[in-house]
Amino acid sequence: MTSIDITSTDTTRMSSDISLLDPGHQAAGLTANNVACWFGTKKVLEGVNLDMAPGQVTALIGPSGCGKSTFLRTLNRMHELVPSATLAGEILIDGVDIYRGAIPVTDVRRRIGMVFQKPNPFPAMTVAENVLAGLKLSGLKTTRSERDELIESCLSKAGLWNEVKNRLGDPGRALSGGQQQRLCIARSLAVSPQVLLMDEPCSALDPTSTRRIEQTISEISETITVVIVTHNMQQAQRVSHRCAFFLAAENEPGRIVEEGPTKDIFTNPRDSRTNDYVNGRFG
Amino acid sequence: MSVIGQSAPSDVADKSAPEQVVTPVIRRSGIDRTFRSVATSSGVITFVLMGLIGGFLLLKGYDALKVAGWGFLTDSEWAPDQGGKFGIAAILPFTVQIALVALVIAVPVALCTALFITEYAPRKLRRLLTAMIDLLAAVPSLIYGLWGLFYLQPRLITLSKWMANHLSWVPFFHVDDQYGTSLGIFPSSTFVAGVIVSLMVIPICTAVMREVFSQAPPGEREGAMALGGTRWGVVRDVVLPFGRGGIIGGSMLGLGRALGETIAVTLIISPAFTAKWSILDQGSNSIAALIALKFSESSTFGISALMAAGLALFIITLLVNAAASTVVSKSRSGSSTEI
Ligand SMILES: Nc1ncnc2c1ncn2[C@@H]1O[C@H](COP(=O)(O)OP(=O)(O)OP(=O)(O)O)[C@@H](O)[C@H]1O
Ligand SMILES: [Mg+2]
Repeated sequence: MTSIDITSTDTTRMSSDISLLDPGHQAAGLTANNVACWFGTKKVLEGVNLDMAPGQVTALIGPSGCGKSTFLRTLNRMHELVPSATLAGEILIDGVDIYRGAIPVTDVRRRIGMVFQKPNPFPAMTVAENVLAGLKLSGLKTTRSERDELIESCLSKAGLWNEVKNRLGDPGRALSGGQQQRLCIARSLAVSPQVLLMDEPCSALDPTSTRRIEQTISEISETITVVIVTHNMQQAQRVSHRCAFFLAAENEPGRIVEEGPTKDIFTNPRDSRTNDYVNGRFG
Repeated sequence: MSVIGQSAPSDVADKSAPEQVVTPVIRRSGIDRTFRSVATSSGVITFVLMGLIGGFLLLKGYDALKVAGWGFLTDSEWAPDQGGKFGIAAILPFTVQIALVALVIAVPVALCTALFITEYAPRKLRRLLTAMIDLLAAVPSLIYGLWGLFYLQPRLITLSKWMANHLSWVPFFHVDDQYGTSLGIFPSSTFVAGVIVSLMVIPICTAVMREVFSQAPPGEREGAMALGGTRWGVVRDVVLPFGRGGIIGGSMLGLGRALGETIAVTLIISPAFTAKWSILDQGSNSIAALIALKFSESSTFGISALMAAGLALFIITLLVNAAASTVVSKSRSGSSTEI
């Protein structure tokens, strides 16, 4: 296993060759091969192999501190933003290595979007500007009508359009927490990602907003591969096709204990620890 | 209760008396009360000190102000001891010119330095640069002044001459060639003084801006990165909007310092008492430098006049700093996304 030097080589090349409104883009598959992670000298993940098939929803479950967020962040190169973080193994998007390959890091992150646990809209921007922020950030030019269309379609997909269509000019921070989270989803969708990573996106939300977001996940999963971290077993069962159970023994790095179709993980797990966890007996 | 009141939609639940606004009663514990009084008295001391300084300047300058009247604001010469007129109509504009030259140079440099430190520099370099900036901010202005006088001034006059030759269509850079444009007229100018003052202002502005930029919410930074943002994109859409108050506040703080800078200006300029637009040719002035130059050779009345000038500087500096603190306190704090 060779460790990769991931001290940011921020190649800021812009590829404007993709058409943003073209719905023809394809969900991409992600593959993790033998991934290990360190924070400083502390190893927190080891030997993680996982296939996230195109157009599928993969749920990552496991007790707190077992490395789910860490793993998720390796998938779009957010991990390397932590100063002491290192990584070994490889992550492939449609077979191309995202760390050593030819894809600039900004393109990696645009193709593999991320929704965070805590809603983080840009407070100085309006609702509409928030949706378009990704285009502005990556320097993509659009016409006015394209932008209007994009705002409406993304907000609709995120289940927020009806609530905010009359307040597109309000600042992003004026929305409620649940609305802010859906705004963040809309913002991620606006750059047409092929994969969307979600780290406990509903943990701060009420049941209605949660249902809305689950609905959104089901709808977008036809064109976008989704990887979602959740502590909510019902949610994992409702939204995911496949499920990976992470576990870290005391003072040891986290590993995937079991991985497979969601139905099997919940009804017929091979490992007794999985059985205990999904039935709420520890963690 | 009126019919209209009852049918108002907000009154559904309230059929009895009108609402009484509650005034919360606060009972403070002993330690809280002690700390509160210590803090309050410190705050009061600040006010008292400011009042004392202002009052002192007004008292001492009163004699001169009474003689000069409005002429103090409109006369440009300074001859209180010769029984002549005296006023700040020339030295005040000169003071402001020097400060503005300093700021025009310092703010962009400080902004870029602060952004480099917080956004681009590797971590070790970041720590080193931060320490150096703080150190530079603490270097006495006399040191800057001496270095400027012996090292920078001779090297700046070539630049002055170049600007006078090529940019003379800008009123500030126009030099009357009644003396010819030999290098001799350039060294003691507003421009040279302003450049040297800018060197002292840069560390202060940088320190304030860096501090604010480094507090830009990490959640928003990551959000911008995760959308495929470039570093510049993150700076433009997260760091600068967040740090706007710091940029303005840091600049104002720098302006305050530039207005009051004494020793460096005194070393550089040759005193002039006729206001002018041009900043490149010799002859400039500032209130602080005037006081430093004239103090030892003035009579009681002359000193009273200098005190009046000091009062003018005090008031302007207060206004600038008050403006700065309002702007800084109005700047957005935190990411406000925790709901
Ligand atoms: N920035 C960091 N620096 C050092 N250690 C870290 C850092 N972030 C996470 N860790 C450690 O890495 C391990 C995995 O953390 P991670 O956040 O991936 O857990 P998680 O599975 O997402 O937990 P949770 O369900 O509580 O979110 C933990 O032991 C944590 O202490
Ligand atoms: Mg986590």
